[in-house]
Amino acid sequence: MNKLILKNVRPFVNGKFEEPTTMNLVDGKWVGEAVSDAKEFDAKGALAIPALFGLGLDFKEPLRDDIYTFRDGVDAMRRGGFFGGLYESIANPIDDSLKLTAVQQLAAKSGMKFAFMGAFSMGYQCKDLSEMVELAESGAVGFGDGNQNCARTRFLRLAMEYGSMTGKRFFFMPLDDSLRHHGLVHEGSYADTLGMKGIPRIAETIAAFKILEMARFLKVPVHFKQVSCGETLTLIENARKNGVDVTCDVDIFHLLIDDSCLFDLDSHFNVAMPFRAASDREALWKGLESGVVDAISVNHDPVLRQDKEVNFEDAVPGAVSLEVALPAIWKPLCERLSAARAVELLSTAPAQLAGVAPMSLSVGGQASLVLLDPDSSVKVNPSMFAGQVRNCPLLGKEIPSKILGSYLGGLWTEV
Amino acid sequence: MSALEIKHLFGLRGVSKHDIRLILDNAKQFREILERPVKKVPSLRGMTVVNLFFENSTRTRTSFELAEKRLSADTVNFTSSNSSVKKGETLVDTLRNIEAMKIDIVVVRHKGTGVPKFLADNSNAIIVNAGDGAHEHPTQALLDMLTIEEKLGTLEGKNVTIVGDIRHSRVARSNLWGMTTMGAHVTLCGPSTLVPRNTELMDKVTWEPDVKKAVKNADAIIALRLQKERMDDALLPSMREYRNTFGITHELLENVSDKVLIMHPGPINRGVELDSEIADGDNSVILNQVTNGVAVRMAVLYLLAGGRANE
Repeated sequence: MNKLILKNVRPFVNGKFEEPTTMNLVDGKWVGEAVSDAKEFDAKGALAIPALFGLGLDFKEPLRDDIYTFRDGVDAMRRGGFFGGLYESIANPIDDSLKLTAVQQLAAKSGMKFAFMGAFSMGYQCKDLSEMVELAESGAVGFGDGNQNCARTRFLRLAMEYGSMTGKRFFFMPLDDSLRHHGLVHEGSYADTLGMKGIPRIAETIAAFKILEMARFLKVPVHFKQVSCGETLTLIENARKNGVDVTCDVDIFHLLIDDSCLFDLDSHFNVAMPFRAASDREALWKGLESGVVDAISVNHDPVLRQDKEVNFEDAVPGAVSLEVALPAIWKPLCERLSAARAVELLSTAPAQLAGVAPMSLSVGGQASLVLLDPDSSVKVNPSMFAGQVRNCPLLGKEIPSKILGSYLGGLWTEV
Repeated sequence: MSALEIKHLFGLRGVSKHDIRLILDNAKQFREILERPVKKVPSLRGMTVVNLFFENSTRTRTSFELAEKRLSADTVNFTSSNSSVKKGETLVDTLRNIEAMKIDIVVVRHKGTGVPKFLADNSNAIIVNAGDGAHEHPTQALLDMLTIEEKLGTLEGKNVTIVGDIRHSRVARSNLWGMTTMGAHVTLCGPSTLVPRNTELMDKVTWEPDVKKAVKNADAIIALRLQKERMDDALLPSMREYRNTFGITHELLENVSDKVLIMHPGPINRGVELDSEIADGDNSVILNQVTNGVAVRMAVLYLLAGGRANE
């Protein structure tokens, strides 16, 4: 038997943190009775938060296992306290059931709860439809073409129309490629001052509007990944009023970083969806407060050191986040929202969006949790990251909280 | 010798008036040396300068090379066409390999914004920016400033108008920072598709869409080179319309002071941004700019190397 006693811990139960208590954990379950011969850990009043669910995981295996592997990804999840995630590989489109089965087998060994996104077009090329019915029957929880945007509107219509047979949600990172036009950063005062090609907000809103109209017309549920500006949230709000089934998430780093970071000219700030202006960041926070935003995503996207140790514009976009997401965002979240809403945004809602049973803590129930000391700040350093990557925009920065350990699927990891 | 506050020259944004003054004053002394029969001084003897040019350049590279030779430095030219970058070597490895050959100063030109800072973060060499993307081209702005001071005595209170493709111009960006620091009033003017939309952080300059109004009170006009690619990218309909709307022509200058300086960073598209009769006219100081380029680059290299020697 695998036994752990957490002493002086404040578990999150029924929407609030309890007073310091002892949690007896046996084989992934929180048991009421005392246990003997167990490893003990004094949490010193730390919070026991239901383990998180990560939206937007890409562990690169099998085609780019030179960058990162499932083993690395699972290691990162243990360090960061994630019990599962929605997997969508940018490097390896899951566009047939064989590829889905292969990645499901990799995940099965991990003990984590993964959900998988299928591609709606073969190779994300927006030319040939994938076999969406078979993908759905094999376990795909939704459809998306990575971060690609389908410029062929008729193809998009047909993909969504065909995919509607499965009842699955379509996921998009809305960015109009034509308006993007080789831009890498937000088109704002910082980009213009630096002379960098920018991506205007309308690249996002025009793409989002097209998809929302398609969703309304075809009655297909859609999800927007990494919404980065308030104007898109307004479109989503209005579409909901008109009966469109639309959900959305915001990326964790977009809540913490704005385009003023560009003056650092640090390639770690080169990410798929650009960091927008401070006013956009505030609009995203307001979206969390109002409930327009359903969940916070992590978009864990490993990039090799040599692909980041170049000048900004030549860097491969992407950021890893699993290891630092919770300690970076927990305090800012709790300063503006309730702890219950914070747990909902990081754990419950992301799992529900991926069709995975959410995690909750109660005596007698399954328990996967992450132990967080909310008031011990820590400087993000390379050793905090799993695998050989470290492409995190918070590298070298101070974050307000510290993860002490995670208990996931019955396995204790002290961080 | 008073020392520069900066250790490298990445751009002119944030560079103090003290440093710009020091560079311009030194450049004036080097300018005098360039008029002598023997134009060489031993200031950088024993030092090695690498000109690391990842973008095509003839005049800037030649100007730097001449400046280095006039200062008695050993110079090496490293261009992307003959470099190991073509073989897949990363930028930082290229730099570290060059650095391992014991070089002192790197003059770099690259299409990427911030490459000079990136190189400085990853090496011990002194880095001088010879143009990074559309970001900055500080020595061009310094030579523009030197030319204006040479002709008008001071930059303080002078009206300088820059006309053309501001959005893609590293020259315009460096000039707007440098000249406003030195007390000039800078007006920027160009077609709406070729000026930045978000100018909140560039609020010390005047943005004027009407070229007649922009040049009306100018003491100096800098015409920027119009790249042909702007037409291919549908930013402009034609060279013809650009010339008729924003070109510096005799007609445009009718109501402008007859002492106005006409400047251009070169190479000129004659009959597009600048009519030939204006480019070759009495008010043109374009060739003075070229001469001053060598002097300014000598001053920059001399002062940065001096700063390192004093550490």
